[in-house]
Amino acid sequence: MNNNHIMPKDNNGTPIIKFLLREFKPKGKIFTLFNIISFPIMILGLVLIIIRFRNGLGSVTNLTQEVPWGLWIGFDVVTGVAFAGGAYVLTFMVYILNINKYHSIVRITVLNGFLAYVFYAGALLLDLGRPWNVVNPIIGNNFGTSSVLFLVAWHFLLYMMAQLIEFSPAIAEWLGARRARKILTGMTIAAVIFGITLSILHQSGLGALYLMAKEKIHPLWYSEFIPIMFFVSSIFAGLSMVIFEGSISQKVFFNQINEKNHKAHNGILTGLSKICAVTMFAYFFLQLLVFIHEKHWNQLNTPMGYWYLLEMIGFVLFPMLLFFVSYRNNSILLIKIASIITMLGVILNRLNVTVIGFRWDASIRYLPSWMEIAVTLAVIFTEIWVFRWVVRRMPVLRESPSWTKENE
Amino acid sequence: MEGFTYFNIFETKGIEYLAILAFFALLIPFWIILNKQVKITRQIKSSLGVLSTNILRIPQGLFYNRNHTWAFLERSGDAVVGLDDLLVHITGEVKFSYLKNPGEIINKGDLLTEIDQNGKLLQIFSPISGKILNTNSLLKENSEVINEDPYGKGWIYKITPSNWIAETNSYFLAEEATNRLNNELERFRDFLAISMEKYAPEPSLVRLQDGGELIDHTLSHMPGEIWLDFQKEFLNHSH
Repeated sequence: MNNNHIMPKDNNGTPIIKFLLREFKPKGKIFTLFNIISFPIMILGLVLIIIRFRNGLGSVTNLTQEVPWGLWIGFDVVTGVAFAGGAYVLTFMVYILNINKYHSIVRITVLNGFLAYVFYAGALLLDLGRPWNVVNPIIGNNFGTSSVLFLVAWHFLLYMMAQLIEFSPAIAEWLGARRARKILTGMTIAAVIFGITLSILHQSGLGALYLMAKEKIHPLWYSEFIPIMFFVSSIFAGLSMVIFEGSISQKVFFNQINEKNHKAHNGILTGLSKICAVTMFAYFFLQLLVFIHEKHWNQLNTPMGYWYLLEMIGFVLFPMLLFFVSYRNNSILLIKIASIITMLGVILNRLNVTVIGFRWDASIRYLPSWMEIAVTLAVIFTEIWVFRWVVRRMPVLRESPSWTKENE
Repeated sequence: MEGFTYFNIFETKGIEYLAILAFFALLIPFWIILNKQVKITRQIKSSLGVLSTNILRIPQGLFYNRNHTWAFLERSGDAVVGLDDLLVHITGEVKFSYLKNPGEIINKGDLLTEIDQNGKLLQIFSPISGKILNTNSLLKENSEVINEDPYGKGWIYKITPSNWIAETNSYFLAEEATNRLNNELERFRDFLAISMEKYAPEPSLVRLQDGGELIDHTLSHMPGEIWLDFQKEFLNHSH
């Protein structure tokens, strides 16, 4: 389709260095609205990150001893990882259940998941007082096996590697490395199985981090079942992200997608909306069960109680019904609306546990500073820039080069 | 009260069991409704019957219009208009819910008549302009004649045309008419396939079987949504 993309076969023609140099040059228009908005924020974010590492966390954030984890953990890490959940759900469906219908969106979802981990989990480093110590649980200087963070650290590391392997055939196709592609493709299924196992564990592991903070989290959001809730909600959080991101990609990268996949896209969206409807139905009842189990009736008629009801009814039950109706009526617009409401709901839920309901009773509430928000935006924009860079160069949405078919 | 023991439903977790039972009780209808094949799709599928070009009657001497009407100029100079055989095969039995009266003036493109099947309506627009001389009284009493003999006893109006030559020069005659109606039947088949995709929850799962034939009176099995689409696709041409 796109003849302007360079597709060396085993680098025939161009030496690899020259090829890479050429690929690193920007493609497409430079002064787009998105670039004009995002670039200054990224620069600002970079400056703020430098200040944060020079002068310490206090110079940039509103964090205190009482509230040591703020927006960077609550939004970037906890919410970002939930949205990256689409990758393990989709790879499970395509590689384990063999539902080929979703095959055309696996690569972009895995790429999205991988970058989400690199950037959002990477944002964890910003929040560590001594970020260089992050290697300790890995190299065994101080494993800290009694901490949930030990599990989370290892899982993030291993899962990033698994996702990189899942995605690597696309990189090999880009570089024209035939032999490498063959080997890497052979590793896909193992990486997928490993990745699903890790995902299920650390999606819930992130929730388990908050089990320690029983006294600090509002009782309506705290229960010993947070890990299960985080896991179940990551399924529809990830799929809503896939629906949302896919709808944008269909427009932005229009010329990369062949006609067959364009046509199949609506079918994919309706299929995903059904899965979302069913998982959200189960999730809603799980939440109800937890609520009954914890017996916090008296909390409902308080401002935090209304906030809780808003989350459960407005951002779980309502989008669930939307998904249900849109699947029955085959309405793509409704599916997109439902996915956006669901994503807002997941953000709300994660922030309720990590920021809003965290130390809700403190006299001085934590509110993220503008600098924290700027850094968060900068991280998101940088991720989108890298994402765009990769999609424009590697066969993520477009067809693999023709030589890949000869090998099969 | 003697003989009664009270259990605290909260302490014994009874309410949690009830919630779980409620979950399963609701899950069943939820799942059934979610997976019920959309009714419209099922109806379209079951209608892949026997409407084909070789049962269509296409007299070669009439002027056929894009909106599935025909007009014929008699020796006297008066014109007769009616509905073509494809349309009456597609709709099946219909009633005429609106007919103009003799003496009224009609322009090309004006509402000619309205046909009705159990509340599902189609509007038919006039192929020619002129003054209505006569309305077929048989249609009110015995509307089946339109299906039995759409070009003879099933005529709708006799009209004194006011601009016959200019208005009919784009109409289809003779073998052109045969080709035209055959193409329309094909287009109708595609139209159904598209409607099916439109009303099916997972389009990729539904396919019209290749070479499948359409059932006669196809639209009579279809809901109003498809009648509306049919009106737009087949009967609303401006010329």
